[in-house]
Amino acid sequence: MKVPERPSRLRAARNRLGKVQFSVAVGMTLVWMLLFNGFQLRPESLGLLVLGFLVAVVIMLLFPMPPIDPGFRFRPIALVRMVAYILAKMVVASFSVIRQIFTSGEVHSSVMAVKLRTQSDLMLVCTAIASSIIPGTVIVEVGRDEWILYVHVLGADDEESIEQSRLDILELERQIVLALGTGKDVAALAGPAPTGEESP
Amino acid sequence: MSEQLVAVLDWIAILCLLFGAALCLLAGIGLIRFPDLLARMHTAAKPQVLGLLLVLVGIGIRMIPVETSVFNIGTLFLVGLFQVVTIPVAGHIAARVAYRTGRIRSDLLVKDELAERLRASGRNPSQENPQR
Repeated sequence: MKVPERPSRLRAARNRLGKVQFSVAVGMTLVWMLLFNGFQLRPESLGLLVLGFLVAVVIMLLFPMPPIDPGFRFRPIALVRMVAYILAKMVVASFSVIRQIFTSGEVHSSVMAVKLRTQSDLMLVCTAIASSIIPGTVIVEVGRDEWILYVHVLGADDEESIEQSRLDILELERQIVLALGTGKDVAALAGPAPTGEESP
Repeated sequence: MSEQLVAVLDWIAILCLLFGAALCLLAGIGLIRFPDLLARMHTAAKPQVLGLLLVLVGIGIRMIPVETSVFNIGTLFLVGLFQVVTIPVAGHIAARVAYRTGRIRSDLLVKDELAERLRASGRNPSQENPQR
């Protein structure tokens, strides 16, 4: 086993290098620059940039991660709109949760299944994070096989409000996909809107 | 920077800080007030996020006139970003464990589609008895 050791090691090194994802490295470099105040123009700014990128590459060589599949696109205008939408939602929903704190009696709520229209892990995660950030909804369970989020909605005690919060989450998904989704995801949005009543 | 502008920025910053702190206080009240874990998750994780973001904005505005080299707006942005990205993970795990071990009050749930689903697949959460 002495002879093939070298080529296999070479191949392993090349495999490792293949795990480096450029977009993720750029993201990590951005965080590095923010950490060390690199955007304030100083003589060492360029050095920080290069060093940050090298650190990002080394991290991905040491801890290889599966690639983000099927990837994502940045659409700046839609991204700004998505952030504004989420912030506005957060403010409105915060006040409705505060109102619920001060109404007397026990608060009733429901757990409901929301079937997403897109079939992409990244969009699922983003939607789950966004709806967790917005007050009044907590993700209890994710059915990844069927792309279903099980959401606990505070204060949803009749059919109408349950349906309303289902629509809210689908709208959230739409905003996120328009901002970050691939062309295939955007096309999936136009598909038939799930009613949610269908059993998985 | 003119004196007046600094004063206006100060006031905006003070309002942001006070409002953020008030939201965190309300979250604390809600934590005592709500009946079960799932409802408490809403206040434990949520108004706090908005409160924290407001406090960060307040600090950021306060720091505009001041020159510091170590601690800057980028740092504040990172604090906000990682808070927003990590809170849902913790919240989801807590909610999921509570649900699966039956430590929630299902009498407060008007509709429970997850229980229907688990029952259909033969895993009833109420049968997995909560062991203390």
